[in-house]
Amino acid sequence: MTKRKSDLTKGRGRSAFQKFVSSDWGRLLVIDVVAVAIMSMVSKEYLSTFNLFVITRDVSTMILIGFSQAIVLAIGQMNLSLGAIGGLVAVTSGGLMAMWGWPIWLAVLVGLLIGVLAGYLNGMLIVWTGINSFIITVATNSIFLGLNLGMTHAKPFYNISATVKAFGQARFGFFPYMGVVTIILIVLMVILLKYVVFGRQILATGGNWNAAEISGVPVKRSVVLAHIISGFMAAVAGMLWMSQLGSAQPMIGVSWLLPSFAIPIIGGVALTGGGASIGGIVLAAFLLSIIQSALVHLQVDPYYVQFLLGLLILSAVVLNELGGRRRRA
Amino acid sequence: MGIISRAFKNIGKNWYRFGLFFVTTAFWLFFAWRATGFLNSFNIFTLLRFASVQVMVGFAQMIALSAAEMDLSVGAIGAGVAMFVGALMQLLGVPYPLAILLGMLLGATAGFVNGILVVKTKINSFVITLATSSMFSGIMFITTKAKAFTVLPQGFVDLSRVWTFGLPISPLVWIMLVVAIVLYFVYSATSLGRKILAVGANRRAAEMSGLRSSKIRITVFVLVGIVAGMAGIMDAARMESAGPIIGTEWLLTSFAVPAIGGTSISGGNVVVFGTVLGGILTGTITNGVLLMNVSNFFVNFFLGLILLLAVGFDRLQKAYRERTSVK
Amino acid sequence: MKQREAVLKALHINKAFPGVQALDDVSLTLQQGEIHALIGENGAGKSTLIKIISGLYQPDEGDILIEGNKVRFSSPRDSVGAGVGFIPQERNLIPDFTIGENVLLERLNQSGAFVHYGKINAEAKQWLSAVGLEVSPKVVVSELSPAQMQLVETAKALALQSKILLLDEPTASLTPHEVEFLFSVLRKLRDSGVALLFVTHKLEEVFALCDTVTVLRDGHVVSQSEPIEAMDRDRLISLMIGRKYVVTQLPSKPPRAKTPILEAVDIYSDIGSEGVSLELYSGEVVGLYGLVGAGRTEFARALIGDARIKQGEVLVEGKVAHIKSVADALHRYSIGYVSENRKMEGLILAHSVVSNITITVWDKIAKMLGVIRRTEEKVIAGKFVKRLDIKTPSLEQMVMYLSGGNQQKVALAKWLGANVKILIIDEPTIGIDIKTKYALHDLIWDLSANGVAVLLISSDMPEVIRLSDRLLVMKEQRIVGKLENSHMYEEMSQKIGTLLA
Repeated sequence: MTKRKSDLTKGRGRSAFQKFVSSDWGRLLVIDVVAVAIMSMVSKEYLSTFNLFVITRDVSTMILIGFSQAIVLAIGQMNLSLGAIGGLVAVTSGGLMAMWGWPIWLAVLVGLLIGVLAGYLNGMLIVWTGINSFIITVATNSIFLGLNLGMTHAKPFYNISATVKAFGQARFGFFPYMGVVTIILIVLMVILLKYVVFGRQILATGGNWNAAEISGVPVKRSVVLAHIISGFMAAVAGMLWMSQLGSAQPMIGVSWLLPSFAIPIIGGVALTGGGASIGGIVLAAFLLSIIQSALVHLQVDPYYVQFLLGLLILSAVVLNELGGRRRRA
Repeated sequence: MGIISRAFKNIGKNWYRFGLFFVTTAFWLFFAWRATGFLNSFNIFTLLRFASVQVMVGFAQMIALSAAEMDLSVGAIGAGVAMFVGALMQLLGVPYPLAILLGMLLGATAGFVNGILVVKTKINSFVITLATSSMFSGIMFITTKAKAFTVLPQGFVDLSRVWTFGLPISPLVWIMLVVAIVLYFVYSATSLGRKILAVGANRRAAEMSGLRSSKIRITVFVLVGIVAGMAGIMDAARMESAGPIIGTEWLLTSFAVPAIGGTSISGGNVVVFGTVLGGILTGTITNGVLLMNVSNFFVNFFLGLILLLAVGFDRLQKAYRERTSVK
Repeated sequence: MKQREAVLKALHINKAFPGVQALDDVSLTLQQGEIHALIGENGAGKSTLIKIISGLYQPDEGDILIEGNKVRFSSPRDSVGAGVGFIPQERNLIPDFTIGENVLLERLNQSGAFVHYGKINAEAKQWLSAVGLEVSPKVVVSELSPAQMQLVETAKALALQSKILLLDEPTASLTPHEVEFLFSVLRKLRDSGVALLFVTHKLEEVFALCDTVTVLRDGHVVSQSEPIEAMDRDRLISLMIGRKYVVTQLPSKPPRAKTPILEAVDIYSDIGSEGVSLELYSGEVVGLYGLVGAGRTEFARALIGDARIKQGEVLVEGKVAHIKSVADALHRYSIGYVSENRKMEGLILAHSVVSNITITVWDKIAKMLGVIRRTEEKVIAGKFVKRLDIKTPSLEQMVMYLSGGNQQKVALAKWLGANVKILIIDEPTIGIDIKTKYALHDLIWDLSANGVAVLLISSDMPEVIRLSDRLLVMKEQRIVGKLENSHMYEEMSQKIGTLLA
């Protein structure tokens, strides 16, 4: 314990470059750039406008999925139902457009509302019962998925608004329209977690529950709020995914579990709560998409992708853990 | 004898767990009344066979939970082992008992990998097994190209097909019951069981009392791997096909079954026969809902709801008992 | 005595927990500009009362009045709003936040929905200079040393500018110098008109700091708001424990063994310990005295293989020992360790008395297939329950429902069950009632008389002076003195004091 006294002075002595590389996002940025550089040498089409568009569009939803999990990790909990929320939101808003011809804005609004309500339900159940977030969201995951499949009978709505379909394909140069939504949400998250009292209270709750409670932070409200934000992010991700696919697929969200944890963890978010590095999450989402796209370009057997994803996460967490241990020692 | 009388004593002490028994009975009565063909002996046969696989999946997670760990790779291990056993039998003509043994060995190996990674990296087992789950499925997909093995030897298929003692009970059910008895024995009477529960209740205190927690936790993951593998093999026998679909729905099942049965999610206790009842309950609901022609897609919805109710009820009961335990 | 205003009144508070009446008709009056000591043994209800006043718990019956108005706090948010500040025993900071934000955490929302860092840092700077901490408020708390963190906590308490400040044993991890500094800050607060309620079990602090004292025993008020001048040490003790307690001299015991059973030679470990050496003989108690944080526990952990030894070696019975884990220490070298942290490390609270006592011998009593016979297990546990006089309704009782003293006896019993030759006992009597404390002393004495080598780690000076045959004094990860024990308190405490100065 007494050894830590020297940490302060050590921290100041490090050069700006060392600090940059040892920060979570600095290291990731280097890795991202190197990965792109290598790929651009291997494959000429890798840096083509279209491929950049595909990568950026993919990243746009991945970042939101990462946020959805990260905000709950920040309070030391988990949300296993975010995929099911995304799917449920996609089919309801898609269904409202396709079956009843609701205007886009209203269908989107209802979709967001469902996401928020689902998150609220998760948060309230956890706060009320005091049961571990894992088991609660395993259960609600099943409930949301059951509702989704029960309503749709696992059949997609193809007949969604043409504008929504076009939105998913539209781009300025390589930059997808969808990315605008994500950029707005990134900015909002940064503001929320850095400057908004609610956001700071969420982080305080995750950092030290008892201290936060004694200092008058509304800890339970912070938990519910974190889950609401998680539901909201999952809802936006679900609708963006629908727009990208051009149809409301009930299976949207089933594959999100792994990336939802991988992105924050690779981005340096601690599972024990207390922090959420937005820069790290964005860069980690890029890393995942860059690699996935690279595997496609290198014509790697798609069956290898799953294996490599698992391996990537494993190495990322192990490296993070080792890095953390070195920093602490 | 000792074990049996103790089992009865435990039932006496934990009378409130009979709640689960009554709930299960109530569902049986309800389905018998509303779901056509529910009590049909063929349906009973199918139901019990399905439930026994559910129980095995629950056992796998129960073992992990007892040591305060989680294993998200049970589904991937189940599928991988089932397809490995299928391949041995269909492609190499390995006799089925040997294939099953080799399959369990593969499950143990996968569990060992999980255990070593969790212990050596000191990272939360949730994250480790989330990653290995993806890797195990990846390996399975790469090696099998996701093609199911359906030409299985008669003896293997008979494990699920035949009636035993003239009753609508498949051998799979007996296998599950034997595993249940073995697990009950391990947890209630052996030093291994005690050590696992001690590590699960308070790992630090267990270590500081001279237990070798690393060894114990690795053993736990190996056991999880073996039981998950057996569950996969049993599911393959049940469906008469060893395919990649096995294990895809196990995440909820594996946690719901022991949790409904009263095993604590935070470690340190197990209720083996509660898990058996839990699996029978989820099996019954799945079966009954399907028979009632409610869109079968709602099955998930009901299972999630039951899990919520079960853990919520358990919490209420604990709070009630604490309030009334004033000496 | 001048008439002061009562700012806080707690009237007829009742609070029950499963199995205990924690507070029974407790009333307390806190006046402006006083430091009011709330003392009592562990389990007397001090913490419960302070948690009720701060809104963490709700009373079953009774009222809280602030400046004459009845208030009802459903959470600490309400009490903070009503001007009641609380410094709890545990670390009270958010590690990833900056110092400034931590200092003003209660008032993050003072300028609306957004956090105004400029304002916060400027204000925090004032409070930091008030406590003499010259670090930028922009530094993240997790980068500070424990002493610096304590100063931040004090600044945080000042920043509350509350009329009433509750402190729950705030000095537990402070050096005497830091304690003195904290006290000077608290006195300044008092002089500016704040009412302070100071919970402690250290009598010296009561006399050094406080103006009035209220004593709790078993959930009752046994002495209310008496001026400190009217009190003396003996009277306070008898109020706390309910009777006079005469401490007897321990009888003499057979001489220790000729050769040491455990030798530590110049140990450096990766969690502390800088060149620590000692010898331990069978049949003696060696006291290892030092303040919290002096490195005693760290040294013990290195000995039992819970921390890595970087340099130096451990010899058991003259041979070099390689101890990589507690399991090695127990099974290969017969060393046991009773942890200072009973609840987290010493016991498995949710398991039975039997399980907790026999955990060290499961491997020994297991038969074929690793089967443990219940009857045999119960015989072993029963023997120690009897010998240590552990009060439990049954052997199957969960340890969490036992009293602190009985829990500690269970934590000790498991090592007796394993028949260890070397026993390291870390702070055995912290938070334990006086009667059980002396029963534990007798037990430790008895063990050494029967040939066990005991290393007694304690920051309770009377305890080490009473029990030890020899004394080692530790400071800043090193042993700064070795003393023969004359068992004379005045003489020994003076010698120890000079060593620590």
